[in-house]
Amino acid sequence: MRAPTEPPILIIENLHLSYGKKPILRGVGLTVGHGEVVVLLGASGSGKTSLLRSINLLTQPQSGRIVIGGEPIFDRAENGTDRLRIPPKHIERIRARTGMVFQHFNLFPHMSVLRNVTEAPILVGGVKRDTAEQEAQHLLRQLGLETHAEKRPAQLSGGQQQRVAIARALAMNPAMMLFDEPTSALDPELVGEVLRAMVSLARSGMTMVIVTHELGLAFEIADRVVFLDAGRIVAEGPPAEILLKPSHPRVAAFVARFHESADMLKPFLETA
Amino acid sequence: MFDLSVITVNAPLLWQGLLVTLLYTVTTIATGLLVGFTIGLAQLSRYPIIKLLGRVYVEFFRNIPLLVILLWSYYALPIFLHVNITKAWAGYLSLSLYIGAFYAEILRAGVEGIDPGQVDAATALGMSASQRMRRVILPQAIRRMLPPLVGQSIIQMKNTTLLSAITVPDLLYQGSYISSFTYKPMEVYTAVAGIFLIILVPLTALARRMEGPHASAH
Repeated sequence: MRAPTEPPILIIENLHLSYGKKPILRGVGLTVGHGEVVVLLGASGSGKTSLLRSINLLTQPQSGRIVIGGEPIFDRAENGTDRLRIPPKHIERIRARTGMVFQHFNLFPHMSVLRNVTEAPILVGGVKRDTAEQEAQHLLRQLGLETHAEKRPAQLSGGQQQRVAIARALAMNPAMMLFDEPTSALDPELVGEVLRAMVSLARSGMTMVIVTHELGLAFEIADRVVFLDAGRIVAEGPPAEILLKPSHPRVAAFVARFHESADMLKPFLETA
Repeated sequence: MFDLSVITVNAPLLWQGLLVTLLYTVTTIATGLLVGFTIGLAQLSRYPIIKLLGRVYVEFFRNIPLLVILLWSYYALPIFLHVNITKAWAGYLSLSLYIGAFYAEILRAGVEGIDPGQVDAATALGMSASQRMRRVILPQAIRRMLPPLVGQSIIQMKNTTLLSAITVPDLLYQGSYISSFTYKPMEVYTAVAGIFLIILVPLTALARRMEGPHASAH
């Protein structure tokens, strides 16, 4: 983390979201500093993915306030009136500086790997094609994908596709990266390569908000874990503190499941 | 027996008919594509009013038989509007607006069939609604839309035979005309059917080929 005087890159205040009558987020507040890595944990249905998708307004919350890099992207009172009129162009500009990686990669299947990475910088960022392609090649090399630039996404493994998706997001020079269960759709043997890419990204100082079930990743790179239950944050702090000495019963139950599977494995690992 | 001379002697009339049929097929498909694209996008609009207008258009033209639309636009519309509408215009407009409704449905289904994750990804990259449509959604949707578009266009060519009901001299009309003075309906209508087969069988095969690899990709 950099100097504490720097304003936080993300401020979320009193965020409410519901699908129809079903409440998903019930007054969530979260602040993320520059270079901070925050891991969102919680059972499925706890609202963590909805919270992540609210940050760049892929999902529209009902009320609350979201400020990214000092610029409000959403500000609506609980009675539903906008406190600020934010034009779509403004929202698009903030989104462009907020990278996102999805569970199912969502690469553009009709474009080559290279085009996937250069499309937004050229179209949205106004970068020249030559420059964008050089930058893309550089990113693909960093992620170990340089030999795949001309292939279509369908020709790659899931792990490779997810690394292309990371490159695609990084190509916009984001100030913050959002990850929505980036390894959940991968075959177990492909998880490692994506996790390693995320670890090195975190080490490079990138601000990251990550929804994941990989507790190992949380311990490895998270400055802070945030635990959601039924649309509220019930625990928040350094991973060791929250996960090893859980004070909230839902966190304890969540962590216990990981202990269980580890315990089940133990005798097999010992006899091996 | 089968008297081929009826066909050879009257070949110029059949050719003229075929030309009219092809002319209506091509022009109404072209206009219909424009109409269909517009109405299809309207159906996909985020504004409920525009969406509803698109829906109303589609349901209007899909639920009235084409023959009724043709007869109505030629015989009834002029009375309503106090204008003269030639049979050529009535035929052209009816066929164009009619197929436009079907093209609009193909476009809507093609776009709605795209994985919502594609829109998420494009949105997250900062693309505007029109950029998402042009660069991400339509290029993928058009691939899915091609086989049904070709199929619907084949139906359109067959539907032009209904023009004969408002005395537009298409292939079928010319056939009926020849038959009326030669008294050889068997030869003439066989020839008319044969001409449609010769033109449409290769097109149908093409549509099937386009569907083949597409279907197996899922």
